[in-house]
Amino acid sequence: MTRGAAGAAVLVLVLVPPLLTSNPFLLHLAITVLLWTLLGAAWNLLGGFAGQVSFGHSTFFGVGAYTTMILYLKGGLAPWYGMALGGIVAVLVSLPIGLICFRLRGPYFSLSTLAVAEIVRLVALNWEGLTNGPVGLLITTLPRVAWGGRILDWESKVPFYYMIATFALASMLATYRLSRARLGAYLLAIREDEDAAESVGIDTVRAKVLTLALSAFFTGLGGGFYGLYFRYVDPDAVFPIALSVEMVFIAVVGGLATVIGPVIGAVFLTTIGEMFREHFLVGHLIFYGLFMMLVIRYLPEGIWGGARRAWAKRP
Amino acid sequence: MPLLTVTDLTKDFGGLRAVSRLSFDAEPGEILGLIGPNGAGKTTVFNLVTGFLRPSAGRILLEGRSVVGLRPHAITRRGIARTFQVVKPFPRLSVLENVTLAAFSHEAARRRAEALAAQILERVGLQDKLGSLAADLTLGEQKRLEIARALATDPRLLLLDEPMGGLNPREVNAACALVEQIRADGVSVILVEHVMKAIMRISNRIVVIHHGEKIADGPPERVVNDPGVIAAYLGTRVV
Repeated sequence: MTRGAAGAAVLVLVLVPPLLTSNPFLLHLAITVLLWTLLGAAWNLLGGFAGQVSFGHSTFFGVGAYTTMILYLKGGLAPWYGMALGGIVAVLVSLPIGLICFRLRGPYFSLSTLAVAEIVRLVALNWEGLTNGPVGLLITTLPRVAWGGRILDWESKVPFYYMIATFALASMLATYRLSRARLGAYLLAIREDEDAAESVGIDTVRAKVLTLALSAFFTGLGGGFYGLYFRYVDPDAVFPIALSVEMVFIAVVGGLATVIGPVIGAVFLTTIGEMFREHFLVGHLIFYGLFMMLVIRYLPEGIWGGARRAWAKRP
Repeated sequence: MPLLTVTDLTKDFGGLRAVSRLSFDAEPGEILGLIGPNGAGKTTVFNLVTGFLRPSAGRILLEGRSVVGLRPHAITRRGIARTFQVVKPFPRLSVLENVTLAAFSHEAARRRAEALAAQILERVGLQDKLGSLAADLTLGEQKRLEIARALATDPRLLLLDEPMGGLNPREVNAACALVEQIRADGVSVILVEHVMKAIMRISNRIVVIHHGEKIADGPPERVVNDPGVIAAYLGTRVV
């Protein structure tokens, strides 16, 4: 299959669902999957390629979400500009975090990202003048927008679907481009051995900070989308540790350092999460956790990584 | 002018002085042996010269320009490459990719970097292993891979940290020939090694350090007969 054909197939797959169904639940499910794909792919850039396991990506998600909300509610800036700015503010926030946390390696790096995320969550909770504290921020009406001569219907899920599909595709394209670029090769070297990477002339700090910035941009974009879609954010919704951990799970279950992995991780974890919630009113997270353990035990390269290996080994 | 000038180099780890006012030069086109008993500070000297450690005091000049305070990648780009005592390949990457990554330091185009890497791998005798994962190589092959990777950064000075440790006699001979070939290609070498026969054979000059201090500096035959060096290795009689 040529690259062009693959691209066309992906485009059709993404464009068609809203034409087939107007069932809001199915569209909501698709939007959820695409949002998680975006977040998983964003995390994968740093965690999968560079091997820098961040447990603090909710920081960038929350910063993106709050930026979008605050700019709209207090500054009247339309949320689509706000979403892009959410990504950019997440990048600005990522720079000092990277410069501090990347002094540490391995588990110490991971723990430092966890600590930073907790600090940011507490700031959001207590800086009431800016964030409204635990009460959160609520958008009651979205602005009227015409697109191709038609007024967009914000009560329908279709505009949101196309918006998040665009973002998710962009994150996958960025992953693909990175995997082909010199920076991507540098990141794999850093994942394998940081000292050896330095010894062959790779500026490891620069490579990691750049990648964190890219990763933060997409995560912040996802946060901005979340704010716009749910029209409500509070610190517990956009800054929890569980959100950071979910991004890790999606990338790991799907397949680290792959383009397709995050989609597969998002599909599996969203549908399985829903299924368990439906069947086991109590303790559904136990089964969810069990599923995670099985994947990590038997498919350490993730579902896509394992499938690719099996395909390469076929007789 | 010497290629590398080290003056009064000192490194303290807390209360321990690992390297103490050490001074030595490395001339262009020479193989300089750096020897000393275990714990003498040889690897620490390498880590100081390549920027993995910051000196407590002293100067390190490469062709007259200080490299103190530069990060390791910057020092590599200035022209000092190294290998590690305990090999550090990129285990889950191919042999070719290992060396290509190093060639990227001065060749941005992937195709040309790969061609350069393949050429260097042929020089170290790994041309049949291009597609293997580095983790699947034998120790001897991994040591040669590290030398190839260091050479791919196009250095003027190469620091080899025990490239012959753990090799069998045949592999040691091959490694000696390789190091001499590297010098012949115009790269100066500083060699830390415990395989005495090898270092005596290929070094132009030997610097001996003991407890972080230089105790001898001269041609191999003079250094091995130096009473101070013999004492450092074998100990002095108490009575």
